Amino acid sequence: MKYRNPQIPEGINTSDRHPLKEFATLAGGAVLLIVALGWLMGQVAGSLAGLLPFEKEMALVPKELLSSDAGPELQAYLDRLAARLGQDMDLPEGMQVRVHFSGNDTFNAFATLGGNILLFRGLVEALPHENALSMLLAHEIAHVLHRDPIVGIGRGAAIRLVTGLLLGSPDLAVLGSAGIYTQLHYSRGMERAADAAALRAVHQRYGHIGGAAELFNILRAERERSGGGEMPAFFSSHPLDLDRLQTITATARQQGWHENGQATPLPAAFNDWMQDAAGRAAIPEGQRQVRSD
Amino acid sequence: MYDLLLLLVLLALGYGFGQYAERRHYRSIVEREARLNALPAIASRYPPAEPHYQHALVTGSTVVSVDYFKRFLAALRNLFGGRVTSYESLLDRARRESLLRMKQQARTLGAVMVFNVKYETASISKGAGKTIGSVEVLAYGTALIPTPSR
Repeated sequence: MKYRNPQIPEGINTSDRHPLKEFATLAGGAVLLIVALGWLMGQVAGSLAGLLPFEKEMALVPKELLSSDAGPELQAYLDRLAARLGQDMDLPEGMQVRVHFSGNDTFNAFATLGGNILLFRGLVEALPHENALSMLLAHEIAHVLHRDPIVGIGRGAAIRLVTGLLLGSPDLAVLGSAGIYTQLHYSRGMERAADAAALRAVHQRYGHIGGAAELFNILRAERERSGGGEMPAFFSSHPLDLDRLQTITATARQQGWHENGQATPLPAAFNDWMQDAAGRAAIPEGQRQVRSD
Repeated sequence: MYDLLLLLVLLALGYGFGQYAERRHYRSIVEREARLNALPAIASRYPPAEPHYQHALVTGSTVVSVDYFKRFLAALRNLFGGRVTSYESLLDRARRESLLRMKQQARTLGAVMVFNVKYETASISKGAGKTIGSVEVLAYGTALIPTPSR
């Protein structure tokens, strides 16, 4: 009997599929999976967060984050303005808005948890009349009314958690870090809804929406001035200013609102108040929280 | 960001060196298999009774470890299921290399064939969490060495 080992052809126990091709397929699938799961969790967490009672939300805000540099007159003026707009926007019982003013020349404004709104001198100083300021305030109040801060934080935390778990480094302390209170990102849908609600409130207050569009012109000018590079959180996720301007015009036509009207001037002492706030912001460095975006 | 960069560098290194080594190894395997084909390795437990042979145990063993790229690919496979092709070629190489080493040993002993050939596989890092996974593939059999005719 003759014993032989036949020559076995190659490629029976192995695959001739290119490893990079397989890598691309698998990695693409995994990324897709993570994104889909993250999105889904974000949506679920966002809608759950919206169900959180407003009183519970107020307890989540670190108090030291929201000091105000406003002098008593400016604070009273801003409070009055916010209260009136809040009335126009039918803020529900128990939901109050608190306006804080920072003397920093940061070009920004945002609403955060617990109905706290933070305005920065850099942006407010650039506003020509009360109508634009009201539009800005009403926009932030609308975020509070729509529960956008808590939904945004819930969404962001869930997405970070899911991606962290899947990628092997879960950051479970997301809710504890102060950064998320100032670096809120709202979806474009949220911004549109806030714009619409703010416009309605401004129209109700002044009988026309003249000057409201001014706010977006100022934002656009600032964006162009700074070269569109590093944008403050306030507009990074906002719909394009041009879009918003067009939406305003379209809404005004649809509702039959006057687009032009006499703008209400800011109080005579407004500039002094700004200087006062800037002075306060400059002095006690150690006692104030540094807000950085 | 740096983590991602590190991952990409490791993947690129794993892929580059891994593929290079694999291609070289396969070339060497095919060449040596042709050379040692004259010395057959037979699975049968019953060696021919005639003519009379001397018997000897011959073994060939290979320890393989997996490169970063193959490991990453296999980990991704864990998500979706299916053939872990990145490990298949690795183990194919290990089996053939072991058999070649066994044959080489048999040839050194002056054997003409090896009977009752079997494979064993042992995981070296079994259960040891995050260590690099390596396996040993052992091929062994009974070498038949012709005795000088009396």
